[in-house]
Amino acid sequence: MTAHTKPLPPKSFDQQGDVPDAVRVASAMEGFLSEFGPRASSYLNACVRCGLCAEACHFHLATGEAKYTPIHKIKPFEKAYGQLQGPFSWIKRAFGIAPTVSIAELREWEELIFDSCTLCGRCTMVCPMGIDIAELVKEARHGMFQAGLLPDRLAQIAGNAKTKHSPFGAPADFVEAIQAIEAEFSIRLPLDKPKADLLLTLAPGDLDEHHQSVVGLARILDSLGIDWTLSSVAFEATNFGYLSGDTQLQGELTCRLIDKAREIGAATILLPECGHAWGALRWEAARWYGAPIDDIRIMHTLELLAERIQAGDIRLRPVGESATFHDPCQQIRRGGLGWAPRVVLKTLGMELRELENTQETSFCCGGGGGVLANTRAAPLRLQAFEIKRKEVEATGATHFVTSCGQCRLQFDRSRKETDWDKEVESLLELVAANMITD
Amino acid sequence: MCVAFAGLVRKASLMLLVTMMFLVVAVEHGAAQGTVPPFPSQSGPENTLGDQSDSDIWRAIRQGGGGLPGSSEVTDGVLINADGVWWSQLRRPAGPLVRFGSIGIATVLAAIMVFFVARGRLRIDGGRSGRRVARFSLAQRVVHWVMAVVFLLLGFTGLLLLFGRAFLIPIVGKTAFSIIATASMQAHNLFGPIFIVSLVALFITFLRGNSPSFSDLKWVVRGGGMFGGHVSSGRYNAGEKAWFWTATIAGIALSVSGLVLSFPDVLGTHDLLHRAELLHAIAALVFVGFGIGHIYLGTIGTEGAIDGMISGDVDENWARTHHDLWLDDMKATKGGAADGRD
Amino acid sequence: MGVIELLEGSLWTLSVCIFVVFGLWRIFVILTAGRSPTQARPVGSPRGGAVRAIFGHFLPRRAFLGQGRVWFVTIAGYAFHIGLFALLFFAAPHVAFLRDHILGFDWPALPRWGFIIAAQFAFTGLLALWVRRFVDPVVRLISRPDDHIAAGLTFLVMLTGCMALGEQSVTLRGIHLGFVEAWLIYFPFSSLMHTFTWPLSRGFTGALAGRRGTRM
Repeated sequence: MTAHTKPLPPKSFDQQGDVPDAVRVASAMEGFLSEFGPRASSYLNACVRCGLCAEACHFHLATGEAKYTPIHKIKPFEKAYGQLQGPFSWIKRAFGIAPTVSIAELREWEELIFDSCTLCGRCTMVCPMGIDIAELVKEARHGMFQAGLLPDRLAQIAGNAKTKHSPFGAPADFVEAIQAIEAEFSIRLPLDKPKADLLLTLAPGDLDEHHQSVVGLARILDSLGIDWTLSSVAFEATNFGYLSGDTQLQGELTCRLIDKAREIGAATILLPECGHAWGALRWEAARWYGAPIDDIRIMHTLELLAERIQAGDIRLRPVGESATFHDPCQQIRRGGLGWAPRVVLKTLGMELRELENTQETSFCCGGGGGVLANTRAAPLRLQAFEIKRKEVEATGATHFVTSCGQCRLQFDRSRKETDWDKEVESLLELVAANMITD
Repeated sequence: MCVAFAGLVRKASLMLLVTMMFLVVAVEHGAAQGTVPPFPSQSGPENTLGDQSDSDIWRAIRQGGGGLPGSSEVTDGVLINADGVWWSQLRRPAGPLVRFGSIGIATVLAAIMVFFVARGRLRIDGGRSGRRVARFSLAQRVVHWVMAVVFLLLGFTGLLLLFGRAFLIPIVGKTAFSIIATASMQAHNLFGPIFIVSLVALFITFLRGNSPSFSDLKWVVRGGGMFGGHVSSGRYNAGEKAWFWTATIAGIALSVSGLVLSFPDVLGTHDLLHRAELLHAIAALVFVGFGIGHIYLGTIGTEGAIDGMISGDVDENWARTHHDLWLDDMKATKGGAADGRD
Repeated sequence: MGVIELLEGSLWTLSVCIFVVFGLWRIFVILTAGRSPTQARPVGSPRGGAVRAIFGHFLPRRAFLGQGRVWFVTIAGYAFHIGLFALLFFAAPHVAFLRDHILGFDWPALPRWGFIIAAQFAFTGLLALWVRRFVDPVVRLISRPDDHIAAGLTFLVMLTGCMALGEQSVTLRGIHLGFVEAWLIYFPFSSLMHTFTWPLSRGFTGALAGRRGTRM
């Protein structure tokens, strides 16, 4: 009726490959429903369009734009369900009233499915029906991937994960990076041990920028006397198959880690300070094996820290001072680890000043779910960051701590853009720096 | 409610007639017999000296004297309401209330049609600019449209009850009208309290900007620019303010009289109920008449006006055409941009 | 009176059958859709989580209480649903109808004033929520035709029901019954099915959260 006349960005979608539009649409329709089950079906049959999900979404709240209403972001996916699998889809098809999806729609929705959803799941918290819209967006990405309608940058990173082993690079690049860190910090990082109790995995951010995290983890593991190793063929914790909607890649990346751990007899796979790695490996690995992973413990760094602190194995010098903690969505809201950072901060003797929205209802940093990697989403990310910045400033805490490398990168980049002087600290690095070693 | 009372009025008139006939017969009978009292006495003859006159008693009753009514929801101790005749004259299908009421509504409709033909749609000076200015908050829009729906429901059912006997019975017949009338009465009574709640909400959400100011006088003098020329106006012009206050006052009158009519056995005497119904009808006619004008000007009458009440924002040129002083204020304080959320 | 007999007889039976058969069919299709992936080793109880979510989502979390729209939808939603529930199961004519035609037993009905109050709440809530579908950019964008038809039919069912409140006219009762039947027939194909799907949706999310040791 009264469209706001805002000039569209020159190119609001990317596409990969060279196939006719009809093929793209058909692939999308098939991909949308490839992982569909009773859970998603219940969700799509329960929504009453109350619009409350918008009230939880940082992208909607930051921009005020209606199109960022979470349930709106899955419209083509919902249509695919209505056309092909819904309870009365056969009647609708028979009468020719089944919904259809056009290539233009898919292109328009690319931004909504990839740029403006971090899969943070905050909308589920406010939904009267408890609909897990993040799960639906994730399933919608399956179709978009099949159609070759991804942001180029995300497609490129996922491609690197597929062809070069990791978004960071090939195994040789990894070995080089590890050696550089060893030289920089005069530390030894065990690599490719044939047998070890624990397989440590890392995220590209650790290898690129957060070297202190790698060093900290190594020191903690060594001080605990754990027999651990890195593997040059199974080092990548992040799963860009999970983020890009490439389910095949997701499975390959997952199995690579589990299989390697089994091969070297590791009882534990340790995940770094990363969010979606926890979701992909801890909570979704079972689907690729058809059985729960009972022989290997998939452990998050947060768990390691909190459990060993509680057991008295890690002793810390009290830091004092006040701190606020940003709860990474995939670890806390969707990962069940909310207790862990609070145990750690308490032991560090820090006065925890909780953000206004905390634990399960914490706001996303704005960069999760592959949005940080997707460079074209930078302006939107920056707007979402404002919400967090205000909350952090309101606490007046001295330290701003989190436990996710991706969140840190998002904060660091947005911080530079906005000249904000509050540096974000890693919980792991805080522990490593204040660990009492005899 | 009106139908029930019209019935009551008819019943009262009938009773009056029967009573008077009885009176005449009794008096004649008494005159013939000389000593027979009007009522059977229990202990011997009374009034043998004739100091108490039957005609005095009946006259007293006829003029609203006290007693115990046989059957009525209203127990105000009045046997025959002397005002009933006056009321029934006023309220009957061909009476002044229906006549002048329908003429009034028809006049409003005719005036709008003439205005539309003569002046056409009020256009936006310079056409749409494409720039939006936030005008009504979501709360204002929701309250407005809830009131609008309630207004339509109450308006239709109320007009059916007021004019139905005069205009609808000749068309649909008495049986069909009785069904329409009972349905209308139930719906009308049910939506009444929602009207009261909406009215309060409407008053609160729209009060800001509706207090009269000096510039309103200029607006009135120059006919609001409806007959040409531009007249400056703030957030609301004098016409809109008049509508706001008319709706408020008429709404209060409707609410209070409606409550009285809804609870006749608790609150009412016959006199009070008659006055309440008269007030209810007049206030409703004013409300509906003004409402029709408002609907016209808010929709087809003024290009771009409905935008504000749907999306919440209006075109900047619309604002300049109709509410230039308000636009200047908005630009000074908010940069004039719609923020998308309220 | 042929129409009334049809409305009270075969049309009534037909609409109830469609309501039941297609409603059950829809639930069946939901629960048998696609496949469920193998789940990870749980940290907490999926069943406990499901129960918690089913009850927990009745009220918004504290984090959202600062937002006007959350209050609006919650208050209007409850006004409408509680009002409608009271009208549906406790209006005297309904209690009598259910006793005489379906259940064979009854329970205390609402007094007249109780009915009126329930109807006020139901109408106000429904109107406010429906009106918002047109004027709130968010809900305007996401509302489907179905959402408007469902709201409109429900409104007409309620309105005709209240118009027949005098219980003096067979015609008014017939009109009400006709809308009820249209509503029943439309029900299983529409978002009105949320009447039955809400515990499924909440339960699945709750089970996921319970498994992961979180609350969602």
